[in-house]
Amino acid sequence: MTGPGVLERLLSQVRWQIRRRRAEFYGLRGIFYGVILALVPLVLKEVLGPPAPLMALGLLLLGGAAAAAFGFWLRLSPADVARVADRAFGLRDRVATALEWGRRPERSPLVELLVADAVARVQGLDGRRAVLRRRPPELRLLPLPVILLVILALAPPIPLPTGRLPTFSSAEEAEVPEEREGNVLSVERPNATRREPLQRAELTERAFSLQQGGTGASQPGDLSAVFKDTALAAQRPDFQSFLKKGDERLRMLEQVDRLPDLKRDFTQSPYKMVFQKRRELFGGLRPDQVSPQKLRELLEEMDRLGRKGGNWGYETGEGFDALEQGQTDRALEAMEKALSKMRALEERGRDGRALRGGREEDRRGSRSRDRGAGGDDIDADLGEGQGLLPGKGWNPNPKGDPTGRLRASPYDAGVEGESRTGRREGFDTNLVGKGASVPSRLQYLGVIGQYRKMMEEALAREQIPRDYQTQVKEYFESLEEK
Amino acid sequence: MGNAERVREFVEAFRNLKAEVQKIIVGYDEVVTDVLVGLFAGGHILLEGVPGLGKTLLIKTLAEGLELSFSRIQFTPDLMPADIIGTNIILEDADGRRHFQFQRGPIFAHILLADEVNRATPKTQSALLEGMQEGTVTVSGASHRLPSPFFVLATQNPIEMEGTYPLPEAQLDRFLFKLRVTYPALEELNEIIDRTTQPGTAEVRRVMTGPEVLRFRELVREVPIAAHVRELASLIVMATHPTWEHTPEVTRRFVRYGSSPRGAQALVLGGKVRALADGRYNVSVEDLRAVAPSALRHRIILNFEGEAEGADVDTMIGQVLEQAEAQSRRGKEVFLR
Repeated sequence: MTGPGVLERLLSQVRWQIRRRRAEFYGLRGIFYGVILALVPLVLKEVLGPPAPLMALGLLLLGGAAAAAFGFWLRLSPADVARVADRAFGLRDRVATALEWGRRPERSPLVELLVADAVARVQGLDGRRAVLRRRPPELRLLPLPVILLVILALAPPIPLPTGRLPTFSSAEEAEVPEEREGNVLSVERPNATRREPLQRAELTERAFSLQQGGTGASQPGDLSAVFKDTALAAQRPDFQSFLKKGDERLRMLEQVDRLPDLKRDFTQSPYKMVFQKRRELFGGLRPDQVSPQKLRELLEEMDRLGRKGGNWGYETGEGFDALEQGQTDRALEAMEKALSKMRALEERGRDGRALRGGREEDRRGSRSRDRGAGGDDIDADLGEGQGLLPGKGWNPNPKGDPTGRLRASPYDAGVEGESRTGRREGFDTNLVGKGASVPSRLQYLGVIGQYRKMMEEALAREQIPRDYQTQVKEYFESLEEK
Repeated sequence: MGNAERVREFVEAFRNLKAEVQKIIVGYDEVVTDVLVGLFAGGHILLEGVPGLGKTLLIKTLAEGLELSFSRIQFTPDLMPADIIGTNIILEDADGRRHFQFQRGPIFAHILLADEVNRATPKTQSALLEGMQEGTVTVSGASHRLPSPFFVLATQNPIEMEGTYPLPEAQLDRFLFKLRVTYPALEELNEIIDRTTQPGTAEVRRVMTGPEVLRFRELVREVPIAAHVRELASLIVMATHPTWEHTPEVTRRFVRYGSSPRGAQALVLGGKVRALADGRYNVSVEDLRAVAPSALRHRIILNFEGEAEGADVDTMIGQVLEQAEAQSRRGKEVFLR
């Protein structure tokens, strides 16, 4: 045999080995996936009937055979075969180089030597295998689907779900589709008109039960009414507008300080009413052009409102006097003063009233009762932001409200403490006791009340999120419960 | 002479020359082999190692084994290019006329030992550039051809860096191989003691002439190389470049510049010499693996991170080889298609 013939023979041997190993490799892989596919007809044995096991076996064999054929006929270049042969037999690339250079027309003397050397070495090779068997990684998992396959093959057919949903409707409703046969339009319209009275009756019943002070717990009758409410179903809400409205509300919620106090109707506030009347009174006129009659009516209205708890009676009286004397400008000035007092009163109420607890309200109420009805407290006379806190503005009591603290309830408890060293602040003067030899005592509820008041003022003054306000108030309420 | 005889002669000459060197040099089998590979590949060798390991002795012994002229230059900081290349001197003839005559420097030798080459200034180091690459030197506009074969063997000390001038990349790239001379093993050290402390020294025979060296160099270039082996050499060089798409992570992280095409040439030429010295007529993948560290370690320039982390270039070359071989086999593995 010629030199190249020996090399070609080696290559064909190696090529055959590679193809065979590839067929084994891909065949095993195909069997694995064939087994998985074969599970399907066995699962559907009830539907497929007796041929199901045969179909499973067919899929298994088909998978293995197809994959083995695929592996066997995969493309295989001579250069790759030569490299495999070189590696397998330790020929150090002799065969690959000899084949490549041996085909060239111009062959250097060393190429001849190379081919001869390669042929000599190939002829001296024993018939060992060039390509080792390789197992696909799926082979480790093969027992699992095989066991499942055997179990399914031996087990009775698996009952399959019918594929129909259980019917929850009554017998009368089940008959409705039969009535709709034929002309759909002509049938649907009478149905709609027929259901309408029934729906109204049930909704009325539901509303009635709620009006009777029911707990809102669902009842069978109510639920059916809701689900049969075709009028609601017919409504097609615009989802985009719904989202838009929701976005607007969320944006509004982010601005805590601008949230309206829903417990109060500001459209009915006396100040606002009077302020609008004042605007109508002026109506772009100069002060000397304002009608005295209308000004008198406005002052009367303000005076009427002031008698319900306002403190601008003096100003309205001054306005009346000025009008009688024909001094419209003085009357206007008095009206403005009264209006600013109304505004201050309303602002104060909006800031703090909604946040103060009942106990504090009671205390404030009792205090005002102590002072008498005619005693307009001095705080109310002050402008907005002045004298509302101890030590500020016109407040004559710069150290807070000691009498309120000391006048504790009989259930109050004294908290013993020691007079601390160092610089003392004004509050120390409010301590009860005979001096340093006796431990100082503070009335628990009194102290809590003092701090509670400071808390309320802080909440009213600062921009604090509502959730935090609620938490702080709940904390103080829990202290009072002790 | 037939080709088979030529190859046999080469194998024998290679073996004889190695044996002569190893009469004096104990151990360093791979270093000696690589020096001979460099000689027959037509390249130059840079030997790096701490003092006292026998670098200079190895080169001197090699020169003794060859019937070639040998000169040694001890590089010092005050060495000038003219001290290496030569210079024009004024000569006066018998008639009293004066004329310039080029006085050849020590570079005009077949084998040049540039001892401690990194101690000279870059200006002096660069005096070797033209001679190493072109085989000529130019003085005052006149080119002078160096003797052939011209073989430069340089040594440098990697630890005494004070007062040295590290070789520039252009100079390094002109060396075919950079060989690391390491400490000998215990048995080798015992042998060194025996050989050097007892009376009588071994005599080195001259086993090869200059023309023979040139003939062998031509023979080496005839060795065929398969396409996939050549491609592997290219892939190895490409894998030293941090910008290549398939480069290993270590290269991307630590390398500033990869090997030049001279690196691929060194791989293939070195592989051919090794194959022929092994009695084979083709270059194999194993040959490339064997010469890769010597051919590439001085051509890979580390970046700052690589220098700071003390990245070992030889380890890096190992990973480069793995990546290149994986890239070479990609899509060619018989089972993975």
